Amino acid sequence: MIEQFERLPGIGPRTAQRLALHLLRQPEEQTRSFAEALLAARSQVGHCRRCFHLSAEPLCEICRNPERANGQLCVVADSRDLLAMERTREYHGGYHVLGGLISPMDGVGPELLQIQSLVRRVAGQADPALPDSPTADPPTADSSIEEVILALTPSVEGDTTSLYLARLLRPFTRVSRIAYGLPMGSELEYADEVTLARALEGRRPVE
Amino acid sequence: MPVSTGRERAACSGRVDPDGTGRWTPERRISPRHIRRPSPWPPQGPALDGPTLAVDCLRPIRLQRLELTHFRNIERLDLTLDVPRLLVVGANGEGKSNLLEAVELLGSLRSHRTGSDRDLIRHGEPGAVLGCCTVAGDRLRLALRRQGGRQASRNGRTLERQQDLLGSLRCVGFSALDLDLVRGEPSLRRHWLDRVVLQLEPLYGELLSRYGRLLRQRSQLLRRGLGGAELAGLLDAFDQQMALVGTRLHRRRHRALRRLEPLAAAWQERLSGGLEQLRLHYSSGSELPGEEAEEPWRMALASQLAAQRPEELRLGQCGVGPHRDDVALLLGERPARRYGSAGQQRTLVLALKLAELELVGSVVGTPPLLLLDDVLAELDPTRQQLLLDAVGEGHQCLVSATHLEAFGGGWRRHCQVVRMQAGRVG
Ligand SMILES: [Zn+2]
Repeated sequence: MIEQFERLPGIGPRTAQRLALHLLRQPEEQTRSFAEALLAARSQVGHCRRCFHLSAEPLCEICRNPERANGQLCVVADSRDLLAMERTREYHGGYHVLGGLISPMDGVGPELLQIQSLVRRVAGQADPALPDSPTADPPTADSSIEEVILALTPSVEGDTTSLYLARLLRPFTRVSRIAYGLPMGSELEYADEVTLARALEGRRPVE
Repeated sequence: MPVSTGRERAACSGRVDPDGTGRWTPERRISPRHIRRPSPWPPQGPALDGPTLAVDCLRPIRLQRLELTHFRNIERLDLTLDVPRLLVVGANGEGKSNLLEAVELLGSLRSHRTGSDRDLIRHGEPGAVLGCCTVAGDRLRLALRRQGGRQASRNGRTLERQQDLLGSLRCVGFSALDLDLVRGEPSLRRHWLDRVVLQLEPLYGELLSRYGRLLRQRSQLLRRGLGGAELAGLLDAFDQQMALVGTRLHRRRHRALRRLEPLAAAWQERLSGGLEQLRLHYSSGSELPGEEAEEPWRMALASQLAAQRPEELRLGQCGVGPHRDDVALLLGERPARRYGSAGQQRTLVLALKLAELELVGSVVGTPPLLLLDDVLAELDPTRQQLLLDAVGEGHQCLVSATHLEAFGGGWRRHCQVVRMQAGRVG
């Protein structure tokens, strides 16, 4: 069990040991419901069919909320970055989760990321992911995207992805990227809310 | 000879009093005005009397204590440096170069021997820790880990970026590899120039590693055939970034070379008797129009990147940019690489390294630490003496060799000798 915990991100051997001992001291009932919650999450949580954020429903909570279809679309690398943006409470538009960044060294080209689906959303084409979508989804929501905000880590991979996306999307909409008050090489995930909110305000068009 | 393993010594205190005068007056030890210009050859008298890099300071100790754990073959080392010249003696593979390499890493975050931290960590250990105390009272610590990268701290505070460690300990390295500087591959001269710029502008390191990563990603893109129909768009994205970062590298290298040239020419004149004028010509890997200016250079580089693309697709190699830079060393307008004699070339190497030492010292305001790794024994007695006279007593020097006899008499005066055996100080 300790080994299992050690495989989790951010958990060292000592924390793993502490967590394992803690669980062993719990009443059996509690351990059971914890294990069931883990399994349930694994089997039920998939990806939102529109924005590819983690979601137990076919469409995630954000995509289901009509107020968030305000014409803005924020592009992030993964769901952790989406959650970081949400914590700012400064952003009220929709999202698109790429599922990574372009990195040839790691064998990741554009075709492995949710880029085609992004272009389709922005270009206002029919969304093939949603042919028989539930009623909660306003079908025209995506045809009116006025601005795409690229919120990718300013690494070589992040910048490559941003520049590549900007070229693809510019024929259809305004494209901006968040300005970084963040030190070069830092990760979006670890930036505090204040910094991120400020960076969001200071976004500017991709030159 | 004083040998100290340091354990019994007082732990690093803050500021120390290097002169024993009760006062600590940095101005006395650093002024670049004290570096006198080279004078005509041959010098009068037995010792070279005018030109020297030495400053008026008897005990120029910058690095006071070095502590290493699980670094290469060194399990643990704690060394206090109490005279300005440290001679590290040991057979090959015993760890003498490792000791100097550790200082290089603390001063520049780089090693001239490897680009991979895994090589630096003792076999079977998860990580290595390098620490040192400087006379100015800084405690620097750099942790290398097999997994999870590096972590740097200063005076007990973890630094957000390892680059912030730079600046406290400037060093100039001179190793046996540098002996090929004149006749070797262009990459040797590029790396030499990079090390100079790094000491002048620590931020240069970020540009360098960013450019290196761009280059690797770009070549992997071609090699793995990724992108398909999107290849042109992806290459555009790389072009745009490489034009910008490449221009910044070109500018800094160009600028450093212009500052090095008069210094190197003066040293060459002094060391060789002044028959031939030395010129350092920047043979850049991109055509750079006009005077140094960011925007025109960036645009020129962008259009050259676009123009070479068909060729790149054929060969799988990007054909323009700072990774193709070279420095042409011209003696009397003829490339020393082809026309210089072996002796001329070696003298020239010495002139280049002394120019580097002088430039870094004058820009930074303090004489940098000099790391002479396995190189002194490669120089004949005359050049050993030339180097000693030029360096004088003003620089703290860490010197390694296989035998104590490799050092000329002058080098053995006022020195601390440490023998390395199987990674231990004996
Ligand atoms: Zn969604």
